[in-house]
Amino acid sequence: GGCYLVSPLVPTLVPPYLLEEIPHWLIVYSKADQELDHKLRWNMFRLSELDCYSDMLTRLYKQELQLIVMKYERYRSALLQELERRRRAITYHTHPNY
Amino acid sequence: SLTRQPEEVFDIICKLGEGSYGSVYKALHKESGQVLAIKQVPVDTDLQEIIKEISIMQQCDSPYVVKYYGSYFKNTDLWIVMEYCGAGSVSDIMRLRKKTLSEDEIATILIDTLKGLEYLHRRRKIHRDIKAGNILLNTEGHAKLADFGVAGQLTDTMAKRNTVIGTPFWMAPEVIQEIGYDCVADIWSLGITALEMAEGKPPYGDIHPMRAIFMIPTKPPPSFREPDQWSPEFIDFVSQCLVKKPEERATAEYLLTHEFIGNAKHPSILSTMIAEAREIRESQAFRNAQQNCNNAKTFGAGDAYSEATMKQRDGTLVPARDGTATADLAADLGTMVINEPDLATMKRHDTDPMDTNRPKYRPLFLEHFEKKEVSRASNGTLAHSPPPPDRAPPRAHHRAARPVWEGSGVKCKVSVVQLAYLSEGELEARMARLDAEMEAEIEQLRARYDRKRRPILDAIHLKRKRQQNF
Ligand SMILES: Nc1ncnc2c1ncn2[C@@H]1O[C@H](COP(=O)(O)OP(=O)(O)OP(=O)(O)O)[C@@H](O)[C@H]1O
Ligand SMILES: [Mg+2]
Repeated sequence: GGCYLVSPLVPTLVPPYLLEEIPHWLIVYSKADQELDHKLRWNMFRLSELDCYSDMLTRLYKQELQLIVMKYERYRSALLQELERRRRAITYHTHPNY
Repeated sequence: SLTRQPEEVFDIICKLGEGSYGSVYKALHKESGQVLAIKQVPVDTDLQEIIKEISIMQQCDSPYVVKYYGSYFKNTDLWIVMEYCGAGSVSDIMRLRKKTLSEDEIATILIDTLKGLEYLHRRRKIHRDIKAGNILLNTEGHAKLADFGVAGQLTDTMAKRNTVIGTPFWMAPEVIQEIGYDCVADIWSLGITALEMAEGKPPYGDIHPMRAIFMIPTKPPPSFREPDQWSPEFIDFVSQCLVKKPEERATAEYLLTHEFIGNAKHPSILSTMIAEAREIRESQAFRNAQQNCNNAKTFGAGDAYSEATMKQRDGTLVPARDGTATADLAADLGTMVINEPDLATMKRHDTDPMDTNRPKYRPLFLEHFEKKEVSRASNGTLAHSPPPPDRAPPRAHHRAARPVWEGSGVKCKVSVVQLAYLSEGELEARMARLDAEMEAEIEQLRARYDRKRRPILDAIHLKRKRQQNF
């Protein structure tokens, strides 16, 4: 759940759900076409497992989110570079003796 | 304290403000005549964790931490009863006066804030939401930390449920990276708050929050925009807070011995500022009361607490919910004066810098988005013009529905080549569209994960219910 582990040795809070590996099938589920979703019988799982899967989905969400943001960040810097390149070219042309 | 209905115990006087999770009201404790603040947060029933957290907060007893008296459940709302701080939050004061703070004012506020943090950290409690909006001042000018714990708990719970990610501008890099964190995460946020008080907004405050999430851990620590305007002591103080490696960051205890803090003046120096903010608040309340009175004549009874409500502050939240009144609001807020000598800077902000401090980060990009300036092509593509035929990778046509720069660095290079064929105007147009397009893509992602999570949450809900029945 939302509780944090407080270890007396390492005075750092680590959410427990960050420490477990995400099962492959859950990754597949997160990306799969919605039409197949009803095939999973979630009520077969225990409550603690369900909580855990929900947390893992959040992790997957954040990972994908980061990929999207990074993709745009790359594109932004490519755009900036290109604009910068042209501005420099213009400066060069208008000041040929520079 | 859960036995009586809260409205039997308190009289609500007026609304003080609104945050990301609910509204805060000024209230009177009927029995004692004491004035209190009550935060009303809508919650779903299985948020018992928050109750636990509040009981921890109730154990805190420091003049530098807003006192929590208890909580009530009222229908689906949680009422959190706390100490009333008559001058409001530091960010309120900046917003009302449309003015950032001077170095002296900042130092005076920081000394109490640090004492509050020292108190919490000694008890191994992390605040997790330090920002100007959560530093409250009483009428004497003493600063107190508010929203300790509750904000963090709520953010966690909501984040897990709705795939909403909180506001990142004050977050330490290690918090964003989720690699585990401890008390010094608050010290990073304090450094950001110092910059916020000095400059009117946190660093990256005007860029898309998702980009900020990306930049905070990857870029060097932020600092002042115009360092020559500030004393070396202040600059040093902030740089000691904004150390990326948590193990090398200063502690609250250590910072209390810092020269900048040592030179801090008495809280009474804040009295003019507090009085000014109060006057503005009162005249706004008066204007509102008049307006409501007029409205009442026309439309009948208004909002229950509307009398002295700070409508302007409320207004700030309206656009986020129903998309109205954004323009009026911007006009209303006008331009803020960034400290006396710096009239030049304020001209450069075409929006109110205070905007960034406002819940809930639906800044420029969204307004942009809502105006549908983005004529997103029906296929959802971001790459608008087809690549020049001779340079195009052969597969590009099959992938028309996806942005060309997607994925690996190689494809990114392809797009750079393509950029060379676009006009400058088109390049700039693409740049202007970026945030809105990213926003749309994130929204799609969020919707997908909400759909994927739904059956799991349903199953959890069902099982909890069954457990309760047996
Ligand atoms: N104890 C209090 N005494 C006086 N005013 C308060 C008190 N607590 C909150 N307020 C006022 O209510 C406003 C809203 O507070 P709230 O904590 O809901 O939002 P916030 O701090 O702006 O953002 P967040 O939701 O992220 O905490 C504050 O800006 C402040 O003006
Ligand atoms: Mg708050």
